[in-house]
Amino acid sequence: MNLVQKAVAQGGKLAPIVIQDAIGGMNPSIFIDKDGDILVNVRVVNYTLYHSENQQQFPSRWGPLSYLHPEKDQRLVTENYLCRLNGDLELTDYCKVEMLNLHQPIWEFVGLEDARVVYWDDTYYLIGVRRDTTTNGVGRMEMTAIDLDKSNWTATETGRVRLEVSGNSYCEKNYAPILDKPYHFVKWHNPVEIVKAEGNQAVKVSLKQGITPAKDQRGSSQLVRWGNCYISVTHEVDLFKNYLNQKDGIYRHRLCVWDDDVNLVGISPEPFSFLDGRIEFCVGASVLDGDLLLSFGMQDNAAFVLRTPGALVEDMIAEALSAN
Amino acid sequence: MLIETLIVDLSHDPFNAELNFYVAQEYKRLNQTASAVSFYLRTAEYGKDTHPSLVYASLLKLAECFEHQHDRLHTVSNALLQAIAYLPYRPEGYFLMARYHERQQNWQECYTWAEMGLHQQTPPLPVDVGYTDYALAFEKAVAGWWVGRKDESILLFKQLLKKDLTPEYRQAVENNLARII
Repeated sequence: MNLVQKAVAQGGKLAPIVIQDAIGGMNPSIFIDKDGDILVNVRVVNYTLYHSENQQQFPSRWGPLSYLHPEKDQRLVTENYLCRLNGDLELTDYCKVEMLNLHQPIWEFVGLEDARVVYWDDTYYLIGVRRDTTTNGVGRMEMTAIDLDKSNWTATETGRVRLEVSGNSYCEKNYAPILDKPYHFVKWHNPVEIVKAEGNQAVKVSLKQGITPAKDQRGSSQLVRWGNCYISVTHEVDLFKNYLNQKDGIYRHRLCVWDDDVNLVGISPEPFSFLDGRIEFCVGASVLDGDLLLSFGMQDNAAFVLRTPGALVEDMIAEALSAN
Repeated sequence: MLIETLIVDLSHDPFNAELNFYVAQEYKRLNQTASAVSFYLRTAEYGKDTHPSLVYASLLKLAECFEHQHDRLHTVSNALLQAIAYLPYRPEGYFLMARYHERQQNWQECYTWAEMGLHQQTPPLPVDVGYTDYALAFEKAVAGWWVGRKDESILLFKQLLKKDLTPEYRQAVENNLARII
């Protein structure tokens, strides 16, 4: 059983997000701000992910998993669209986030990818990874400050901080923001490493062994407050190749439970999917009237928000805690 | 039906070829061709042994989605080739492949695919993929002129004029005849 099926059966709701200017959307990140507005950042790309499932009888020319960008344009380009949903999770406003023109992209992955929405110190941020500033695709988390004009529904980047790290690292991504601890992120889950953005550095704040996940967990949603704990959704990946040496992968998610000090104290014993797609990716979580809103992408091609009833979330938390 | 309702239905039976197809169709209607690709492909992969018409139509629709996205010619042709290999006795794939080559001005390829398609006779596909029973003859007539078969081309166009053509096809046939006679 997938999570959408469970959530809807218990009174939840699934809301597809369709942006008319685009041919699809992916990896949305949800956040409810101080005005009660439900914001969702949707990643819009210039490629279509082609992923053959089941027995993979109809792969692309390049294999079962391919990023089908324009054939005369090798780049994988990301733009961000900031949306507002009403209480029924219907799209009411959207706009493309106007980014500052700070540099000419010099690698194939262009733009701010899988940005999570947060609001810290009276500023909206989109926080994701950017890999277009070097010729070999070095990835660093970047915090993009946004001026959001709600009257005209425009979003404009006003500043950008690229978070460097100590030591050698090729690609930093999927830091999970802790919503009520400004500038703090869960960087790793085993052991749990918390980092804080200080200037243009991601500085290690703590490194603690929590419970040990069955598989390596990577950041997906933000950490949100749920009663007397934090919860977040993480993802795990199986990457492999077929007999033709063509790449393939399966993504699954788990619910993590954290105590007040951000110790990892529970995790789903079994991974779950949202819609039984092999490639899905959750990038956001927010609490609405006792329910948990989870935003996720399906095969990089479609974006959804799932309203998960509080009772189901409680069951998932109990399961996560009891399994460890 | 709303996309939301269709997706929820699909969540109860995620590998159901028909449900995946309905979702794909609705996304395509909304011009969300990337989203549609995912669900057409799932239709094909999960329905291969049970829903041949839907699988065939999905592969043709995949080609259409990628055509709308522009500059994905290899992927368009790949989807058409997969459809033709899957149900080689159906004419629609041959027509779409002939038209694909017509648009690239690959005239001999267009002529050959059209000729092969004209040898396929099957009941209509239960999904509209832009095919009509005279579409292959039209492609053959167009390509025939460009590969040096002028008399055959004129004859085919004249035969087409006797059929119950859509206004677009009728206009195209008349325009072609006016140019080549």
